[in-house]
Amino acid sequence: MKRIPLRDFHVGELGAQMGEFAGWEVPMLYESAVREHMIVRESAGLFDISHMGRLRVRGSHALDLLEAVFTRRVSKTREGFMSGPMLALNVWARVRDDEMAYRVSDDEWLLVPNAAYTEKMKAHLEATARRLGLSDVIIEDLTGKLAMAALQGPKAVEVMRAVGASWAADLKPLEFRLDAGIAGARAFLVSRSGWTGEDGFEIWAEPGEMVRIYRALLGAGARPVGIISRDTLRIEMGFVLGGNEYGEDPREWPCALSLRYGMGAIDWSKKGYEGYEALHACRREGVRWVRVGFVMRKKYARVIPRHGYRILVEGEPAGWVTSGAYSPVLGRAVGMGYMDVRYAVLGEPIEIEARGRVAEAKTREFPLIPRPH
Amino acid sequence: MARIRVEVKGVTYEVDDELLYTDTDEWVRVEGDRVRVGVTDYAQKELKDIVGVELPDPGTEARRGEPVAVLESVKATADVYAPLDGVIEEVNERLLEEPELINRDPYGEGWIFTMKPSRREQLQELLSPQAYVERIKREKGA
Repeated sequence: MKRIPLRDFHVGELGAQMGEFAGWEVPMLYESAVREHMIVRESAGLFDISHMGRLRVRGSHALDLLEAVFTRRVSKTREGFMSGPMLALNVWARVRDDEMAYRVSDDEWLLVPNAAYTEKMKAHLEATARRLGLSDVIIEDLTGKLAMAALQGPKAVEVMRAVGASWAADLKPLEFRLDAGIAGARAFLVSRSGWTGEDGFEIWAEPGEMVRIYRALLGAGARPVGIISRDTLRIEMGFVLGGNEYGEDPREWPCALSLRYGMGAIDWSKKGYEGYEALHACRREGVRWVRVGFVMRKKYARVIPRHGYRILVEGEPAGWVTSGAYSPVLGRAVGMGYMDVRYAVLGEPIEIEARGRVAEAKTREFPLIPRPH
Repeated sequence: MARIRVEVKGVTYEVDDELLYTDTDEWVRVEGDRVRVGVTDYAQKELKDIVGVELPDPGTEARRGEPVAVLESVKATADVYAPLDGVIEEVNERLLEEPELINRDPYGEGWIFTMKPSRREQLQELLSPQAYVERIKREKGA
């Protein structure tokens, strides 16, 4: 297992319980995943997300390369901003990864791939550059060099102010600042972003600086939060995770269109990226599967729908569960999965086949909780 | 009653020295002609936050090793197995609304069910506290 730079700090000073995620040893939780979830929804939680990939793409061909790989018009991203989510597809229009691009300058970009896909994406970018003859581009993996943290929750701005980083309050959504000061320490980058549905910031810093930033943020009222809560928070919002909601094998995963990713991840007017033809073919021919959310009915409030459980409608096979969790906000289990489009009627009852028994749920549009602050 | 504290890789697990154990992490307390059953501190720490419990119906007959209850945690779904042949008598209905009692007090308020054993000699095949301590160490690779 790969070690995050602040591992000993989390275990020794914060009492983290560590576990494996995507090949990394990460803090699973500190005390209670349910309480940590609510800290993010109601106050301010601090995640160590150093397992997330960080790639730097530089050179006069950098933008051409990104345009050839991603489903969004990367060129529309303003300097000092993140692109918003976008997909990297394969030729079958199945998803390699979902990630954002940060525009540092015209010929310098940062990418944050999913932890499990960092090396794969670096190799894919390099192979694409070679294939297209884009010679002036260098891709560098910064993952091991920089720690990464996410401060998330309605009190995130208040916490940043309290540590003297009032400038952070002025960052617009998806805006970032390089070489920023927090509580006397230096961050490589701070962005107004996150993956919880709450307001917040993501911070990249060298390990020594990150320990100082961590101590300051915790001293100002943020509480440490583990990766289990990160998963339950994203499920409440209906955000997708590679390996759960998407993957590359067309025998196993539906076309990217079936994901209903939203957030402008696919620009239909864009041409020429890998998977473009197959993606438009999906659209013309129609999709068979579509991702839907659901909430368990009261009687089955504590039956957790797990990845791979079957979805039925009046006993007829109608799909499968991709992710599920107990929602502390609703006091009920929620989930998402792919349903045959003929059965995927929002607001109607479905059945989840859980370990040989059937539990009732109701489909619902994302997010599965009332919209956070 | 006393607790044996086992520390493996920075995590401390408590083992009650007056109970018997299974190798599927249930504890058994003999109370006259019946037994009370729950899951161990090690089990609840491995599962993390328990967010749901499914209980058997009182009167259900169970064979040793048969799944009789289900624990839903933030990490996984886990079966609880009957430690002996017998009939389920009482179930801890508080767990339906407060499953976290298992995390908070696994050997006390977090008990799951009681059963009346039909073959008491099976008690002798359960693990002693010391043998259960060894099981934890083995599982955690200590």
